[in-house]
Amino acid sequence: MRAGKIVLCLLLLVLATFVPVQAADIDRQGLVGIWCAGDDAERRDSFAAMLSQVESADEPTRQWVQSVLSAYREGDLFCTAETAFRPAGEAYENVLTGERVDALPADANAPFLNIPLRRALEPVSRAVTLVVSPEAAERLGAADGLSRSLGVVPPALIEELYATEPDARVRSALEQVLVGVWLASGDPADQQRAIAALAADPTRQNLTTLERFVDGAEGSLSPSVEAAADEALSKVKLTVQASDILTVLYHGLSYGSVLFLAALGLAVIFGLMGVINLAQAEFVMIGAYVTWFVQEALKVVAPDLLDAYIFIAIPFAFLGPALVGVLMEWGVVRHLYHRPLLTLLATWAVSLLLINIVRVSIGTQNLSFYTPEYLKSGFTVFSEFAITWTRLLSIFFAALALVGTLFVLYRTRFGLRVRATTQNRRMSGCVGVSTRRTDSMAFAFGSGLAGIAGLALSNIYNVNPTMGTSLIIDSFIVVVVGGVGSVLGTAVAALGIGELNAFIEPQYGAVASKVIVLLAVILFIQQKPNGLFPPKGRR
Amino acid sequence: MRRRSFLKAVGVSGAAMSAPGIILPAWSQDTVKVGCLFSSSGAMANIEGRLNYVVQMAAQEINRNGGVLGRQIEVVTTDPGSDWPLYGQQGRQLIQEERVAATFGCWTSASRKAVLPVVEENDSLLYYPLHFEGEENSANVVYMNSPPASSVLPALEYLMSDNGGKARRFYMLGSDYVWPRTINDQLKGYWQQEYGIEPDAWREQYVPVGHADFQSLVNDIKRFADESGEQPIVVLTVVGNSIPNFFQEYINQGISALDVPVLGLDVVEADLEGLDTEPLVGHLNCWAYLQNAPGERNQQFLDAWASYVNENDVPFRPDVSIDPMVSTYDGVHMWAMAAEKAGSFDVPEVRSAFPGISFACPSGYDIKLTADNNYVHRGVFIGSVNRNQGFDIVWQSPETTVPVPYSPYI
Amino acid sequence: MMTAFVHSISGEGPRDRAYLAVVMLLVLVVFAVPLLGLSPLASTPLGLDGYQVNLIGQVMAFALLALSLDLVWGYAGYLSLGHGLFFAIGGYLVGMHMIKLAYVGQSGVPTFLNYMGLSEFPFYWSGMEHFWVALLGALLLTALVSFVIGFLAFRSRVVGVYFAILSQAFVYVAMLIMSRNDTGFGGNNGITGFQSLFGVPLSAIESKVWLATASALVTLLTLILLRRLTRGPVGKLLVGVRDDEDRLRVLGYETLWLKIAVWCGSGLLAAIAGMLYVPQVQVASPQLLSPMLSIEIAVWVAIGGRGYLYGAIIGAILVNILKFWLTRFMPELWPFILSGAVLLVVVVLRNGLMDPGPTFRFLFESVRRQKVAGKGEGA
Repeated sequence: MRAGKIVLCLLLLVLATFVPVQAADIDRQGLVGIWCAGDDAERRDSFAAMLSQVESADEPTRQWVQSVLSAYREGDLFCTAETAFRPAGEAYENVLTGERVDALPADANAPFLNIPLRRALEPVSRAVTLVVSPEAAERLGAADGLSRSLGVVPPALIEELYATEPDARVRSALEQVLVGVWLASGDPADQQRAIAALAADPTRQNLTTLERFVDGAEGSLSPSVEAAADEALSKVKLTVQASDILTVLYHGLSYGSVLFLAALGLAVIFGLMGVINLAQAEFVMIGAYVTWFVQEALKVVAPDLLDAYIFIAIPFAFLGPALVGVLMEWGVVRHLYHRPLLTLLATWAVSLLLINIVRVSIGTQNLSFYTPEYLKSGFTVFSEFAITWTRLLSIFFAALALVGTLFVLYRTRFGLRVRATTQNRRMSGCVGVSTRRTDSMAFAFGSGLAGIAGLALSNIYNVNPTMGTSLIIDSFIVVVVGGVGSVLGTAVAALGIGELNAFIEPQYGAVASKVIVLLAVILFIQQKPNGLFPPKGRR
Repeated sequence: MRRRSFLKAVGVSGAAMSAPGIILPAWSQDTVKVGCLFSSSGAMANIEGRLNYVVQMAAQEINRNGGVLGRQIEVVTTDPGSDWPLYGQQGRQLIQEERVAATFGCWTSASRKAVLPVVEENDSLLYYPLHFEGEENSANVVYMNSPPASSVLPALEYLMSDNGGKARRFYMLGSDYVWPRTINDQLKGYWQQEYGIEPDAWREQYVPVGHADFQSLVNDIKRFADESGEQPIVVLTVVGNSIPNFFQEYINQGISALDVPVLGLDVVEADLEGLDTEPLVGHLNCWAYLQNAPGERNQQFLDAWASYVNENDVPFRPDVSIDPMVSTYDGVHMWAMAAEKAGSFDVPEVRSAFPGISFACPSGYDIKLTADNNYVHRGVFIGSVNRNQGFDIVWQSPETTVPVPYSPYI
Repeated sequence: MMTAFVHSISGEGPRDRAYLAVVMLLVLVVFAVPLLGLSPLASTPLGLDGYQVNLIGQVMAFALLALSLDLVWGYAGYLSLGHGLFFAIGGYLVGMHMIKLAYVGQSGVPTFLNYMGLSEFPFYWSGMEHFWVALLGALLLTALVSFVIGFLAFRSRVVGVYFAILSQAFVYVAMLIMSRNDTGFGGNNGITGFQSLFGVPLSAIESKVWLATASALVTLLTLILLRRLTRGPVGKLLVGVRDDEDRLRVLGYETLWLKIAVWCGSGLLAAIAGMLYVPQVQVASPQLLSPMLSIEIAVWVAIGGRGYLYGAIIGAILVNILKFWLTRFMPELWPFILSGAVLLVVVVLRNGLMDPGPTFRFLFESVRRQKVAGKGEGA
């Protein structure tokens, strides 16, 4: 009897431990049904309910939830009347039966998620990752995003996860999530923890949180908390301000590098031949188009190399416009060397021609550029100072162009000839420099540099036939300020104008910044009619 | 046809459009001319240029069914080159020299304002296919699209509702001209009067038309969003190529629609053509037609456009259709209906036939004109960017809305 | 080249005939437009309709604009890529005059002022309902602006390409400023909604005829006046400035004030052209200030030929008639034709249509030589 009772008890015990698991197990079909066809409120409730069940669910269920949820969030869950499919490699997997199909059924479509639903789903899916994922890096990513909003995720769950989290970085990320809970708790120890966490990550968002906390407390805080809050506040504020200034400087640098790239070729040509090439901006455009052609060609010929298309395109983006430049020099510019004002008009006509040739042959639409994974988004240096990869790339190209041009001009025979011709055309001719050839080569070189600018700009601006027109006046101004043909002068002028622009624009708007910069430049030319670095030699 | 092949040879396929204008005048007894005033060159070419072909397509449809009052429609195309005074000049040419019965044209308000005195002075008709700032009601313009009260406010109402995410802070970024400024003035009045929202909840910035570098401004939006706990949105009224440039920067700086959604009031499917829209999913727009509008009629329109593009080598995408295209298409049909009803091409008679004209628009609504004004009653769609460079429909009005040309919020 | 220019100034032979032909053409326009546009002749096949009259008027205003540029470019050697600035000053002021006129005796303001929250005209609109105020305002403002630009540029001896870019920068800045809505002139849309000028409604054929006639007449008078001026000592000095300014200074001439005076005079002419142009197109917008328009003015002059005055007129008439015609019949081809024409004229011809240059002269001469040779054989 006794043994029987024990057996029964054991059995019950086993059942007791077993039954709740069974009860908490997730009704997959029901869930998919609601996600596919439920109304907004039902869906939102289902997220919260599911979250409470996931913790206690068995491993396969957890994996199932995580995979289906992320497919759902990405818009990759394709619903039919009975079930739903998610992509699995080339094929699709039926999320209820696990069987695979090669193509989606005709009636399958991804349910639309509006912003509030996505806002509700986002934290839930992150919380699921935190609960389920064994990878610290994945959990860190999930925790990072949670600090913006907890949504329906119960704070208690986060506190529980925080308590059991082994990874220090994930813990500190979770602290950011818990800040709001801690501050509101009224417990000085929790508040201290929160303030420390806020001070550890001095972003503007945290600054706002701190300010609100201090303003809202109105003397109800314990003195130690208040002192800590004030100290943290001033520290965070200072850091945010410092990062703001760096941001502006960086924006100036990146805009300056765009200006520099656009103006460099112009400066070389102007310095050598006294010719202002109004078609220079169109060489920028051609460079961007060549880049696009390289990208399209790679898609067909070598899809594996597509990620590197930007670098593969460098020689083409240089040579394409350079070739057009040679043709233009040969056909138009060389006839006009002693009539610079007419060259202005002739090159304007060429620019009109180039724009329209591209317009009728390729079309007016913006070209679509593939952005490799490594160029997407960017990284935060500290506080609010963030750097985007595309801008960094343009700065890199500007630096490359600067170094390359200096090298060509000062370390090659071609450069020597260019400098000699720039300084004294007749004398150079006398000592055997073929000034004709030098002109032609230099024109090609300057055009090629513009092509590199086009390459660098293709991931920042839209690429279409008229993309150059917005650049041309700005780049002239840079050349004029920099001084005739001075590469360094061009760099300094571009940087200066870029910075000036970046400082004025947030304050007074884009129109005002352009106007102020131009007026400043006009006044500057009064003082230094030959630019920052006036040419030395005899002319 | 030799002329045509010559043009092809120099790579100017688009010019073929003007060929009928030269070849056909001999038929003028049996034809009636209508004019097109859309730029196929210059800054507006990319979005505006396609409307020329829509007029051709609609005219072809009508001609196939016997024309208007027994006459075939002959379309006269021009290219004002995105140069506003030239719109007026060429409008004058169309009306006085070509004696067109109606003109379809203009995208920007600036170009419409340049044509306005011309159509008024000659008592001609301009069918204007764009939504705009309102505050105008000329007897010589048929406003095919919605004034702000019915095109912008529904979208804002949605974004401010619980369903739309309860937006309470607004960053208004626009191109510096009348349309964005008027829209924003109306919005400010709307927020103050309807929601009691204080001016410190919004910020207003304007950029020159054609502005390309949005680095500082997108960063400013980030700041604005982090300065308060309430939900911010961007009300975007930049136009033309500034739109894709803005979104490119928005992607690059990593702001998602969950953080700060953008309500792009002039954003159409064509603006997304060059962009990777994956990171843009969820941003909104608001028009009287979206390509994903449900219904058989829209499918027919899309098929008709696709086959027109393929048959005529039109230099635009066959699979992209935008609101102004449909508005233009509606315009041609509604003009033909009015002329049929009036039994004449004379403008005063055609005009007096307007009230009661109703057309089965591809958007799915039966759009109509009433005696109140020259604004067409349209339905309203709110769209949300999807991954395929298009818009999913978030909301659509149950029926057509009554256009209110003059806003009560200014 | 030098001899060609000297020739033009001392003026005898074929140059004089070309000048007389242009004068005759303008005289013809002055008389023909009212005759064929208004009199009973208007309804005959010879008659001109409103559209044609308007077109002639616009082309005449452009001719005057080109003339003003030729004065500084063709004679003093300074290429301005910013003449749209003065053109726009005249245009905007006459536009303001017509707007104000439309609101005389009415309360309320145009919508673009409404948008700025204004319920009455700001002070700088006062008196604008009188034409002479607008005229005087336009002239004074143009004189002031051109003086400032001229003084700044010529004092620090900005020359050549620098001057061209600088003037372009000015017009670009002005366009940016005028495109702002808050500047108060309708922003990007510009100002429209004009009703009448001198009591004649703009929609009436009479106003078109008189505006066109006035444009032609002013152009004609300006041509004659400038011709006299440039053939006198002032013209010689200007050519001196163009060809070797340093030498002129060494000889003791103060060129600064001469240049400023000519520059301002040219600006005033451009402003008058603007005042004639805007009532004809019935819109004054920042497009008048677009760098593109300012470059196009230089294109007209380059095609017509610099330094002959009437060359500029021929260039403006040719290019604009071609433009009006082609953008209608072959809109796609126009940019190709324009750029092609500029390249042809600039690269192949030495000075536009006025001076075919060695290439063509060679052609002509070889033809003539053959003829002569042929004759010789025959004789």
